[in-house]
Amino acid sequence: MTWRLSKFNVVSMVFGFTFLYLPILLLVIYSFNASRLVTVWAGFSTVWYRELWNNRGLLDAAWVTLKVGLLSATIATVLGTMAAIALSRYKRFHGRTLMTGMVYAPLVMPEVITGLSLLLLFVALDLNRGFVTVTLAHISFTMCFVTVVVQSRLTSFDRSLEDAAMDLGATPTVTFFKVTLPLIWPAVAAGWMLAFTLSIDDLVIASFTTGPGATTLPMKIYSQVRLGVTPEINAVCTILIAIVSTGVVIAALINKRRLVREARNERMAAMG
Amino acid sequence: MKSLGSIRSDFAPWLDKSAVPFIRFEGVTKRFGSFEAVDDLSLSIYEGEFFALLGASGCGKSTLLRMLAGFEAPSEGRIILDGEDLAGIPPYRRPVNMMFQSYALFPHMSVAKNIAFGLKQEGMAKADIAERVEQVLKLVKLEDYAKRKPDQLSGGQRQRVALARSLAKRPKVLLLDEPLGALDKKLREETQFELADLQNQLGTTFIMVTHDQEEAMTLACRIAVMDKGQILQVATPTEIYEAPNSRFVADFVGNVNVFEGTVRSVNGECITIETTAGLDIAAKSEAPVTAGDNVAYVLRPEKLKIAVEPIGGPNVMEGEVWDIAYFGPVTSFHIRLDNGMIVKVAMVNATREGPLQLTWHDRVFVQFDEDAGLVMTV
Repeated sequence: MTWRLSKFNVVSMVFGFTFLYLPILLLVIYSFNASRLVTVWAGFSTVWYRELWNNRGLLDAAWVTLKVGLLSATIATVLGTMAAIALSRYKRFHGRTLMTGMVYAPLVMPEVITGLSLLLLFVALDLNRGFVTVTLAHISFTMCFVTVVVQSRLTSFDRSLEDAAMDLGATPTVTFFKVTLPLIWPAVAAGWMLAFTLSIDDLVIASFTTGPGATTLPMKIYSQVRLGVTPEINAVCTILIAIVSTGVVIAALINKRRLVREARNERMAAMG
Repeated sequence: MKSLGSIRSDFAPWLDKSAVPFIRFEGVTKRFGSFEAVDDLSLSIYEGEFFALLGASGCGKSTLLRMLAGFEAPSEGRIILDGEDLAGIPPYRRPVNMMFQSYALFPHMSVAKNIAFGLKQEGMAKADIAERVEQVLKLVKLEDYAKRKPDQLSGGQRQRVALARSLAKRPKVLLLDEPLGALDKKLREETQFELADLQNQLGTTFIMVTHDQEEAMTLACRIAVMDKGQILQVATPTEIYEAPNSRFVADFVGNVNVFEGTVRSVNGECITIETTAGLDIAAKSEAPVTAGDNVAYVLRPEKLKIAVEPIGGPNVMEGEVWDIAYFGPVTSFHIRLDNGMIVKVAMVNATREGPLQLTWHDRVFVQFDEDAGLVMTV
């Protein structure tokens, strides 16, 4: 591959990256601002991070968000993986097309509608809105993302591996846990990450389905911003960005290591 | 039946009327929707046999194997293994193991773990597993590769691991799905002999599925030639080649020249056939025929002789060299007879100069004996 950067490419790259990252960069910089005024730079300081530590409201919201995220992502991953397996394995059952469509629908459904319909459901069921309802709501809207990720892995999965496991005496359950799951694991993990990320930054659906005592971080931030942006918000956002970027970097490193290992194995196989 | 080919074998339980078949397919039919993959098929396979199911893709041979392994259930009929009806027994409880075409090695496990997988499911003790793994690795000559992952192995080594894994549980029957299909030609020839030796050494019943007639001929005690879900002939490789029971079998296994015609006269087993192309053929017929019957005389290319000078004997025909294909050990000639028919003749290159110095458009004589070919009633 030849690497030649034309002027057009350089310009479009600069514009693109600026557009994407300048706001985030500003937010990070201002989180280290000594001034209480968000738009006036008054020197470097970590005071807002210390302040944040004393802000019970934000910390509670962060804790709720984390719990909802971990729980809903885990359950959504289990359900989403099961749906993916059912859809890719059983090619001929009644209503398969309908089910496929219905699994994918939430991907494109406006969040307001999802949120509203879940709210109506919870009201109809007479469920007290709070931690449970927001978790259920997150499970239901992140599940389809897991299904999509896992299903794409399953299409390239060699079915004869499962046949071989059963042929060697493994029951279907053992086959799933010893052969299928270890092999689709990266996709399942990616699905979990996706579900977790979607859950922790969801504002709309959480607003509809949560109740007293279960305010999530995005909701808290949003409500505080309406009263004026404080540097504490910048600090908490910077921490979130740090967490997400660390996750992305780790995923990239794991992938890179895998590619290196595959290349080495190929050489080894060639040498016999 | 008179003996055929150049191989003599003492192992022939199928000729023994009192022998009890080890595996029996009884009227087995398998439908996928409206498609009949296997059509009312019956077959007996004996203990210790190396049996080959030979056919083009889609003939139902793989379905038959998968039904025996338990991955598909027959729509009709029964499969009996060692006196036990296999109906309703899931694949993980059957005393058969399969070597898959893609090898299906578990990529996340080492060679040793792959082989130990089946033994672990049996609940075998750890020490026994280690011993058995070592034993089968030795059998396939891969002792030094136990710790490698499948993707660190070459194609030939993977094939051996797959074989070792399927043999580790000491199955009553080993099923092989195109076992050598993924290997290159040179390696395939070597592995063929190793596989045959291994089967001989272990005495396990092997059932192989293949589309490669050469592979089936080299490895198997008996071959079943399949087409459209049915078995056309079950016989030893020599019988399949030298005494095919139908034109399809003759044509599928090896090359043939086919002369179609009508029986003009019958004198004992010596008959004369007048072909549609206007030739007279003197032939010997094992099947009873009467004058006026429509028959085909089927003749393998290596059973014909070519000469530059006029030669004696029955069935001498004159023609012109139309095409030559040099394969190394043999040369294949297409001779265009004077009536326009093309016959294939194969000659062994027994000397380095070759038996005849022929080139395109040379005039030649082609000759074959009365019993060189087979008379088939149409």
